[in-house]
Amino acid sequence: MVGVALSRWTMSYFATAVIALLAAEGLMLAGIGYPQAPIGAPASLLLVHLIAIGWLSLLMCGALFQFAPVLVAKPLYNNALPLPTLGLLIAGLAALLLAFLQLGGTIHAPFGLFPAAAVLLGAGFGLVLWNLGRTLWAARPLPLPARFVVVGLCCLAATVLFGIVFALVRGGVTAQSQLVDVAALGLPIHVIAGLGGWLTFTAVGVSYRLLAMFMLAPEPEGRTTRGALYFGTAALAAIILGGVAAICTATNLMWAVWAAGVLGIIGLALYGGDILHLYRTRKRRVIELNSRMAGVALANLAATVALGLGLLLAGRFTDHVGVIVFLVAFAWLTGFGLAKLYKIVAFLTWLECYGPVLGKTATPRVQDLVTEPRAKKWFALYFVAVWVAAAALLFTLPWLFRLGAGAMLAATIGIGFQLLRTRRLANVAPALRLPKGARPPHLLHSSVQPS
Amino acid sequence: MTTQFMDVDVRPTLRAGGEPFGEIMAAVAKLPPGQGLRLLATFKPTPLLQVLGSKGFSHEAREIGGGDWEVLFTPGAAAGTAPARTATATDDSAWPEPVQHMDNRDLDPPEPLVRILAATETMAQGEVLSALLCREPAFLLPELAKRGHAWHGGFEPDGKTYKILIRVGAAKQAA
Repeated sequence: MVGVALSRWTMSYFATAVIALLAAEGLMLAGIGYPQAPIGAPASLLLVHLIAIGWLSLLMCGALFQFAPVLVAKPLYNNALPLPTLGLLIAGLAALLLAFLQLGGTIHAPFGLFPAAAVLLGAGFGLVLWNLGRTLWAARPLPLPARFVVVGLCCLAATVLFGIVFALVRGGVTAQSQLVDVAALGLPIHVIAGLGGWLTFTAVGVSYRLLAMFMLAPEPEGRTTRGALYFGTAALAAIILGGVAAICTATNLMWAVWAAGVLGIIGLALYGGDILHLYRTRKRRVIELNSRMAGVALANLAATVALGLGLLLAGRFTDHVGVIVFLVAFAWLTGFGLAKLYKIVAFLTWLECYGPVLGKTATPRVQDLVTEPRAKKWFALYFVAVWVAAAALLFTLPWLFRLGAGAMLAATIGIGFQLLRTRRLANVAPALRLPKGARPPHLLHSSVQPS
Repeated sequence: MTTQFMDVDVRPTLRAGGEPFGEIMAAVAKLPPGQGLRLLATFKPTPLLQVLGSKGFSHEAREIGGGDWEVLFTPGAAAGTAPARTATATDDSAWPEPVQHMDNRDLDPPEPLVRILAATETMAQGEVLSALLCREPAFLLPELAKRGHAWHGGFEPDGKTYKILIRVGAAKQAA
């Protein structure tokens, strides 16, 4: 083992992701897409993909290029690929967003944009899977958190394949009847594989390691953790494989949804138990802002599951599916993502800048790169705004939703500004900022020093 | 062709609280071409598998009862010619006893990394530092390599404590 180097382009992924999040919140504030437009309208699809690919997937990819090697204590398979990968993903996302505008008649293009998006995003995510897959493959047998990531990556593959089928059918490239069936009926599978499998399941795996690390808690790896992995995997397999089988054999999809729902709730309950145990058994009594805010996001996940169950039992789930998707994307995934980003940016910047001179001269601590009291206000505003916006969706108050979205945008700008200050070492006392031998970090990439 | 194996039993060294790495590497250095190594240890020596893997040996590990392990290292075609990738593998001589011990298991990250790097700056060439950690120090290792220190480490038999030994400047000397 030669240890893990800094991932050169992770900061570029993060920066692009935050810009996409700001753009999406701006669109919601402007009243473009759901709930002003129906959930399946082109404008809503544009908004959803800006969030799912532009914000959440780029954030996750950037984080995994840095932390999958940490999870398995092996270097990344290929350090040169993340940059072209990012280029393909950004180009593919742009093509997809334009394709939705073309679909809605907002723009006219002489050629189909969906096939272009399918090719570019397929290639970009293909490189992500290849690079991370080879990294994990070289590290077998895998520790438990990394196995969650493997399942998450399988779900990414499934999500992308569904997306490609949708794009090819919508783009008029194919009219093959089974592919048309998949495009017509496969939407719930695409959404669950993406939000539930790729993003949530991967975040769950990474959270086991990161939360244990930042709170000095013993990493759970007992029966409950394996149970969470197995039940979660079974739930995702039920919805993805069972769903495809149902579509191909023209049987009702609902049994797969129910089986996945029951298995998934058991898996999430086991995960919830593990996380509570982790917070309780931590050695560190006073925990940092990132762990506290991650706690809020995890509580939001639990509340979302409870709300989903309640709506299901009341027979109102289909009416409010938009609220659930909104809560998963913003209350859980975005909340957790921003909380961890706050720590990760500080840690990577600190390591890049001060690592070479540690022990040789006085250096700041990681915590000196952040100003938690300032960031705390923005995080608080963010979560309150999300709850307000979700309530507005639940009670059909579009004006209140836009107000909530505006507050989310303001909070994200506030957090983004704090990340920028961290990256520029602006919070560090000037006397300590740049000791001899330390180099100021670039904003968008990390210098990997020769070893 | 059947491979001949040289026996190395490091169980007495381990039971006495010693560090058998030097002993094992000395035995590897003495192996005639084509000969393998049969290692007996009180736990599965995972880090060693990687070190010898980088020297071109494949391995077969099995538990032989009483918690002891037998590992058969078979030389591959590249054995003896593979360039050493890690700082560990460049250092075949026995290491002196550590002059400093640190228990960093209860420190918040990245404090263990900071303390270890600070300690290595105060130590003389060739001196050894031993440190206990609560996880694999993934970000520490490239820093050690940059500074020319040799290291080897691995989980203790409890599976929770990671012990790393760092020999100051040893990689620079070997290079």
